[in-house]
Amino acid sequence: MRAGLAAGGGLVLGGLLPGCSDGGKAPEGAAVLTDTPRRGGTVRFGVIEGGQAGNLDAHKPVGSGAFRGWALYAKLWEWGLDARPKLALAEETEVNADATEWTIRLHKGLEFHHGKTITADDVIFSLLRLTDPQLASPYAGYLYSLLRNDVKKLDERTVRIPFEKGAGLVALAECWMSWGGIVPTDYDPVSNVVGAGPYRLKSFTPGQRSVFTRFDNYFKAGQPYFDQVEILDFSDQTGRLQALQAGQIDIAPNLPFEQLAFLQADPRFEVVASETDVWHSFDMNLEKAPFDDPRVRRAFRLIADRDELVARVLQGQGRVANDLYSPSDPAFNHDIPQRRQDLAEATRLLKEAGHGNGLDVELVTAGGAGANAALVFAQQAKKAGVNVTVTKVDGSIFTGPKRNDWTFSTGGSVSRPFLLTVQQHDGPRAVGNKTHFKDPRFAELITQALGQPDLDKRRALIGEAQRIQHESGGMLIWGYSNVLDAVSKDIGGVTPDRTGFAGWRTDRIWRRSLTA
Amino acid sequence: MSSVPLNAGAPSPASAGPLATLKALRGRLPAWLPWFVGRLLSGIGVVLVISFIVFGATQALPSDPARIILGPEAPEHTVDTLRRQLGLDRPLVLQYADWAQQVLSGNLGRSIDSSVPVGELMAGRFANSLTLTLAVAAVAFPLALVLGIFMALRRDSLADRAVLSSVVLFKAVPGFVIGICLVMIFSTSVFSILPAASLLDPSLPAWRQPQYLVLPTATLALSVATYLLRLVRASMIEAMDSEYVTAARLRGVPERRIIWRHAVPNALIPAIQGVAMTFRVLFGGAVLAEVIFSYPGIGNTLNAAIEMRDLPLIQGIVLVITVGVVVINLAADLITVLLTPRLRTATRIRARSPGLRNAASLWRTGKSWRVSV
Repeated sequence: MRAGLAAGGGLVLGGLLPGCSDGGKAPEGAAVLTDTPRRGGTVRFGVIEGGQAGNLDAHKPVGSGAFRGWALYAKLWEWGLDARPKLALAEETEVNADATEWTIRLHKGLEFHHGKTITADDVIFSLLRLTDPQLASPYAGYLYSLLRNDVKKLDERTVRIPFEKGAGLVALAECWMSWGGIVPTDYDPVSNVVGAGPYRLKSFTPGQRSVFTRFDNYFKAGQPYFDQVEILDFSDQTGRLQALQAGQIDIAPNLPFEQLAFLQADPRFEVVASETDVWHSFDMNLEKAPFDDPRVRRAFRLIADRDELVARVLQGQGRVANDLYSPSDPAFNHDIPQRRQDLAEATRLLKEAGHGNGLDVELVTAGGAGANAALVFAQQAKKAGVNVTVTKVDGSIFTGPKRNDWTFSTGGSVSRPFLLTVQQHDGPRAVGNKTHFKDPRFAELITQALGQPDLDKRRALIGEAQRIQHESGGMLIWGYSNVLDAVSKDIGGVTPDRTGFAGWRTDRIWRRSLTA
Repeated sequence: MSSVPLNAGAPSPASAGPLATLKALRGRLPAWLPWFVGRLLSGIGVVLVISFIVFGATQALPSDPARIILGPEAPEHTVDTLRRQLGLDRPLVLQYADWAQQVLSGNLGRSIDSSVPVGELMAGRFANSLTLTLAVAAVAFPLALVLGIFMALRRDSLADRAVLSSVVLFKAVPGFVIGICLVMIFSTSVFSILPAASLLDPSLPAWRQPQYLVLPTATLALSVATYLLRLVRASMIEAMDSEYVTAARLRGVPERRIIWRHAVPNALIPAIQGVAMTFRVLFGGAVLAEVIFSYPGIGNTLNAAIEMRDLPLIQGIVLVITVGVVVINLAADLITVLLTPRLRTATRIRARSPGLRNAASLWRTGKSWRVSV
């Protein structure tokens, strides 16, 4: 699983464009190390997370807290480079036939930062803490059918985790790799910030700087490499770029597309471009006119010129999408034909739906890539006689209490497996169901898939569910964007990563200029 | 003409009579004291009113802190739980009363964003802002004073016009352009002798890390000094044109003595208000420097707190800024009064301060309302 400079992979070096694999094929394996990691030194990350100062909570990360969590906490499963769960602290896991009972065994001799051995009690504590209603973690909802009171310690290293009958959760691994940092039973997110991640906390100044030192008993032998990791908070993209150029930071994760050309021209840096499942959409509210008519939804999906959207909005750093999310998921249905722009058919459908004399809609957005996409789409829609007015609102209003009531709005989300994304956006119990998509057959298929540990059977269920989404869903998903990380050439180990977390993996990176 | 005559209002001897005791008491206390106490009380009133307005305004903003903290992924019942834990579900008046009670007992609460006590969060940021403010003052004020007097004395000379033109240029170029030019010259493109981002080490005080102060100070000083310089120049020209200077000249007082003993002290009075205004603006967060140089001052923190609807933090910061502004104003007015014999001895002070209107007008329009530049 070692990966270094990707041979012909997604590494953008001096203008080389990524020519990565398509769809569900993982970029892993193609990569070979060209340099050997060395221990020592300090690395500085410059991160931008809106205005949020953030915290250090393992189970309720706020703002750049999620980034710091990668250094501080280890999990039972972790994100593989292919965006699939990979065993980490867990040595072995087992799930029963309807996914209502998971049995998890820890590796032997694991240790926390403060020296305590990791036991089944800590795993149970962490799970119960994540799902504690009083903690109010936004991610607890993903474990909706967990029987909290019946989680059982089988021995010092083994835990049994039960779920409600008929509501098994095969996505436990996906949940765990996302939000399940293992913390000791004496954990406190402010006064006793202890985990089992590659680095231990040295100091934390919210909104400014957090410093970490190497944890020598990290569960991956030989890793991590740096003596010290510093995470610096920036509030302005230009400010961060200047700091990078002046050599004050080594890695700038999640570069805005506008800065790509600029940094490519600079021989001191490489921009690591990762093809990911980060998706961009226009969300149509099925409960409101005109989108209560499936013909209008279909017409809108045919209006979009996805190639142009990817070229102009993502500056070519992405791929067109087929109104479906999570293409890296092993169960993703790649057989559904790609939808392309068809203005004649769109116009015909709109006429049939009674909008022959034109149609006016308002497209609400919060700025960023979404706002650019909205403007490009408005131009495209004109050609089909649809007049799209773009309205920009403040981010906190866009995602505020009215967030699910917009008639037509921009949307999208991060790179995540199908069964997590569907729980968030349009599945049964979805809390962010902006499209108000409620299809009984779809809901049934999703519930079955969530309880189906057999990949082939799950693939059939999800495949059918995706056909329904593709046919009558409310999301116009036009593209997947790459995640760009600017990295000093002196730093090794940052490689393209399906998850979009290439620049977050503090345990894989090292400084090249160190003498052995 | 509001310049101050040289011999204005010497204190009159207390006269005997039925009110002698009161008068005697008054004679011992400075005449301006009642005015000062009045200003102090109204300052406290301002702080109270502002705290109330801010509290109301943050509540009136759409969206709520619980939702913003938890993000769009949180189910409604989770958001409700957090809202209850933060006490956001209670009536506004109760929330305010609770907060006020906490503040009076010296506790500003905890940030709902990072769970760190507000006082602790603010202390470092305010210290940074204060350090930067003082650094800018130390550079800009002497520069403005010396150049301003020099230019007024050589009015309309080639040097005066040259400096004035470059001052207008600096005033016309937006501050961020100056900042970015300085970064390009000293950090990234031409030389690389200074850090581009002021990434202060939070464990050390800002003044111990001077390398991070140079560029923000230079940027801010350049934009502040141009304003002060013209203020000093204008009031110095006015002083040199005044009747008392003419009278002194006619009496044969040496020019050097006229300038330094009579003209400069009077010309400084309007500048005090200009200095106060600079302090107010910088103390409340020099957002310009904080954005360009990522300087960890209070302005960015307030901005972020508003974005997050982090009520305890917003309230704490605004409270400190308000108190700071009230204190700066009060100090400036007191100094103005003490330096102005006519005001110092008056029992009723009508004009809040003689230089304020001039300073405000110059700040707003770039023109002095008294002397055309």
